[in-house]
Amino acid sequence: MSLRLLTALFLAFGLLLTADLSVAQSAGYSQVQTGADQIVLTRWALQHIMARHWPDSTATGAGKFQAGITEASLRDMINEAVHNGRARHNTHGRPGTIYEYDFQRQIGTTIDGGPATRLRVVVSNRNEVITAFPF
Amino acid sequence: MHLDYRLNEDRETDWSSVTEEDLRYRVALGNLVFHVGDKDFSADWGWIPLVDLAASFAEIVRKLEGGSASETFEFTESDSWVRFERKGEKVLVSTSYGDGVGEIALHAASEAVKSFRERLRSELLRQHPQAAHNAAVRKLLGAV
Repeated sequence: MSLRLLTALFLAFGLLLTADLSVAQSAGYSQVQTGADQIVLTRWALQHIMARHWPDSTATGAGKFQAGITEASLRDMINEAVHNGRARHNTHGRPGTIYEYDFQRQIGTTIDGGPATRLRVVVSNRNEVITAFPF
Repeated sequence: MHLDYRLNEDRETDWSSVTEEDLRYRVALGNLVFHVGDKDFSADWGWIPLVDLAASFAEIVRKLEGGSASETFEFTESDSWVRFERKGEKVLVSTSYGDGVGEIALHAASEAVKSFRERLRSELLRQHPQAAHNAAVRKLLGAV
């Protein structure tokens, strides 16, 4: 990754994204503010998502984000999915909430390599993102 | 029904402090070996949280035994699923990623899931003895 890209990514942490949704960084956490709710994307969660779902990830059987995705655009999509998506309880005793949102445009690829337009975000009971992936 | 697993090597996890969320999403990862009759529903993706799968399958069997007509297991990192549909004393098994429908007796499915959970617990405790004292491990895999 180039120094310029790294610099841009770190700068993006401090940017206000929209009038309603904002991201701030503190001690390794970036907080995604969605009105009354505040969803936190930890560095651990980001690394988890990048390891499995980034365009260059070699993980099989997992949806991949489209080439060109950045930490900032991921955060934007998580914001949008949590704010506007359909929420349901996590399944079979897993803690947390699942949000799903259809962006009506391709955001990545499915496990079969086809176009994925939807995002699933799993959020813990502490309002921390656990994982997020296109499908 | 043949239900088994391949556990990835893990020398980094502190098993005395893992949380339920860790076990549901981040540790004890591996592959699922899953045959129902002549149908192969195995998943060799390498990232499947096996403790979560064992606990979820156990809950699914409990619900089917309790009268539920259908239960669906969702994988943690994709929209892939395994569906269990009860038909009398039989269970029909289908997946989003494999062809066909497998059929098994409910009591056999229950035994297979119980055995899976016990074997996984034994292997994890053999590899990581400190896990025996972890409340989340005991909750999801049963008391030792």
